[in-house]
Amino acid sequence: MFFLCCQAKAQENLRYKGELTVGKYQGNADYGYKIIDGDTLLNGSFRLKKANLDSLLKKQDYSFDFSGSFFNNFPNGAWSFRFGEFQSNNKSQVIDYQYRVAVSGVQEEARGLILKGKPDGNWTFEVSKIEDSKVAQTLFKSNITFDNGIPQKNFIIENDSITLAGRFLRNGLAHDEWSLYESFGLSASENWLFSNGVLNQIETELDGVVTITPIYGKYSGDTKILNLDKKYIQAIALYQLINDDAGVKAGGEMQRLLEENAAYYKKIDAILSELGESSFLPEFKVKVPYFPLTDDENQLLNRIKTNYKTSEEISTSFLEDTQLNILKLSDQDAAFNYEVIKKITKDFLNPVSKLLAYQNQEIVEFAPRNQLISGLWTSEKPSTTIEVNVVMDSTKTLQTFSLDSKEEFDFTHTNLESLVQLSEYALQSLTLIENKLKAKLTNSKRKQELISKEEELIAQQKTLQSLIDSVIVDSPSTIRTVLKKLRKHSEESLVSYALLTDLEPKLLKAQKLLVCYQQLEVLAKNIAKLPEQEEAIKERYKDRVWNPFMATLMDEEVKKRIVTAYKRVLVPYFLEQVKEDFRCRKTADLNILMNNTQQRMLELRTKNTSKLERKLRKINDPLTVFELLGIQPSSKEQ
Amino acid sequence: MRSYKSYTFSFIVLAILLHSSLVGQEPLEELLPTESKFKEPKTRLWINTYGNIRISKRLFWVAQTHFRFEETEETPFIGQIGQIYNRHAIGYIYNKKVNAALGGVMRINFNTDENSIDRNVVPEFRIWHQYQFAMPVYSAMIYHRIRIEHRWTKGFEENSDYIFRNRWRYMFRAKIPLNKDRLESKTLYVSPEAELIMQSGKAVVGSVMEDLRLTTTLGYILTPRLTVAGGLMYSQGQTLDNPGIFKQNWTMRFHVYFSPDFRKVKNKLPEIHLND
Repeated sequence: MFFLCCQAKAQENLRYKGELTVGKYQGNADYGYKIIDGDTLLNGSFRLKKANLDSLLKKQDYSFDFSGSFFNNFPNGAWSFRFGEFQSNNKSQVIDYQYRVAVSGVQEEARGLILKGKPDGNWTFEVSKIEDSKVAQTLFKSNITFDNGIPQKNFIIENDSITLAGRFLRNGLAHDEWSLYESFGLSASENWLFSNGVLNQIETELDGVVTITPIYGKYSGDTKILNLDKKYIQAIALYQLINDDAGVKAGGEMQRLLEENAAYYKKIDAILSELGESSFLPEFKVKVPYFPLTDDENQLLNRIKTNYKTSEEISTSFLEDTQLNILKLSDQDAAFNYEVIKKITKDFLNPVSKLLAYQNQEIVEFAPRNQLISGLWTSEKPSTTIEVNVVMDSTKTLQTFSLDSKEEFDFTHTNLESLVQLSEYALQSLTLIENKLKAKLTNSKRKQELISKEEELIAQQKTLQSLIDSVIVDSPSTIRTVLKKLRKHSEESLVSYALLTDLEPKLLKAQKLLVCYQQLEVLAKNIAKLPEQEEAIKERYKDRVWNPFMATLMDEEVKKRIVTAYKRVLVPYFLEQVKEDFRCRKTADLNILMNNTQQRMLELRTKNTSKLERKLRKINDPLTVFELLGIQPSSKEQ
Repeated sequence: MRSYKSYTFSFIVLAILLHSSLVGQEPLEELLPTESKFKEPKTRLWINTYGNIRISKRLFWVAQTHFRFEETEETPFIGQIGQIYNRHAIGYIYNKKVNAALGGVMRINFNTDENSIDRNVVPEFRIWHQYQFAMPVYSAMIYHRIRIEHRWTKGFEENSDYIFRNRWRYMFRAKIPLNKDRLESKTLYVSPEAELIMQSGKAVVGSVMEDLRLTTTLGYILTPRLTVAGGLMYSQGQTLDNPGIFKQNWTMRFHVYFSPDFRKVKNKLPEIHLND
């Protein structure tokens, strides 16, 4: 008793009134529901709407109004959907005690019956352009009759430029004549003739002239049922192509119109699916000739794909290689190889890439295999012997390329096996050429590199020399001697470089010398700067002292031991390092040491150095002085 | 007004003296010659050290020791020790150009009269203060020094009493750099100077010009803290006993000037420039 009572109570119809969000739609809802085993099932009438006057007056309002009913969570019964996107002109008038505001914008409206979640009976979609609260133009309209979700009988779909009308069999397959014509004016039309879902032919009429393009004709082989969508159109195009049919490229307009229609249905399906259970999609069914791919064929396709990918990478890398593009102008062999790559790309790779594109679109199954394969080449299929014209110094020579193992390849047949062979041959050829060209290019690259390195080297040496020549003029004689020595070092190292003959060691040495010259330039500057720096240090180690006997402020030298150590020990050490025992690799360290020393000398002025000054007494060893001053001499010195 | 008064005072003293001589007091007549007499110049040698030891931002300690020699019959200039000076004071630096000092002197006078049978050594005491003004003129500096000394001396005779005198000294000096365009380290400079020393006191009767010193010195600034100088001085002045008799001296002078600063670097750096 108790159980029954509760069950009865649970099945009691309840109502909800209030806020509800369905997908992206948020508005006021009023609907009936019941709770069964803890699940909420929509049951009874349903309404969800929104219209916001405030936002309409401010800018624009997105309004909607969905109403219909559910039965056990399935949409069931008469439904209508309205979507509005309105702006107002902010003019209002009062009519019958009501404020009225005229609006402009777009309204979409759909209405029809739903039976257990599927469209049933007649469904209309209408998109209108509204101006001042009146319908100004119909932007889209569709009218389709369904039987339990399957389109039946006649339908009509139109937008602002074209109209499509046609009919279905009871099983939903396209049948008889589907006509596509311009909504205004009858100058052009397209009639698709189906029989039992198979498209026989397309008749196009332009200015009274009728052109007939056969598609599948009276096809009687295996077929597959498809939706009339993009894939179907691609399948038709492929079929036309391999049948050497230069007729119209059919179906674009029709497909776009059907897609537009499907988009509207999808919008409603999204709402209904969110609420309950539904499959509210119009399926326009057609039949296409079907040549299924076997497992073996799929494997072959994958092999072709792998070969193609590698081949394509090799070919692109060479065709776009600037080095090769320059080299082929002067090198007969390089030019020949370049032409072969070009030819393989054109005759082998490009056709294969077409097949792979069909595979990507999943339409290989909708065309007879051998026709499809022979259709990949507009002229002859290539052979194992590749002939190219090589133009060198305005003389043309015909050269041929083939693999030694060409006898093992046979790609004369029009099947996938043969295409595997063809792609394999292309790959092996390209790999062979790649190996030949790589060595050639590397060598040429190296030579090129050396030439530019040498140019750089000479330029650097010139900069160095002119730098030395310019600073030498004003330098004291000790500095002058050292700078001259530096110039001599740079000359000598260039001479020893010139004695090298082999490419590799030359490149290495040139690289080293470049670095060396950069450092030498810094060193020359550092050395030329020494007198100026010494003066700066002297200035810094001065203090203004008041002499009571003279009643005058005088400069007094302070921390004399530090300054003396710098002048008498460190500076001569720097100069000595350049004069004697000069090595390029020590230059960078010496530069760092000189900079650090200068910086440290300037720092020490303000530091407490009384201990340091005591220790510096009578020390003449530069390394000890560096250590005492807290300067890190180069690692090699230690 | 003051100078006029002192002038009047000197004049009265002189008038009395002259009057006394005119009224026929024998010793005075003998004392005052009819015209000034100039003694033969003596030769002397002074070795002077001058220390100015900085003790704070504005104060310094003046420490001077002088050794004065003079001729004997056999040896010119350095024949015998004449005086040893010990002069100390605390100086105040008003600014870079103006300073003052106040202190005392303890001098030891040696009896240089070879024929004397009196005491060989007597002390002499002074209290002194001085005001120095410096001003730059082109590359040189000129200095005005006013020094006032209150002096207690006594003769070499046994049981002689101290006599008190005031000394009024004004010195004008220039220091002109020779090898540089200003006075700085390693500068050789020439320094002409003139100092007039006047004296007064009960014991001073007529001999108001104690000394007029004309000196030229050549100096060398070794560092801002150490300078050496040497020069020659001619001086003349009335003898205390007889205003009609003038003594004369030629003096070689050698000076060492030092000015250490023992303050810690931390304290020294910001203040050393005073207010420039």
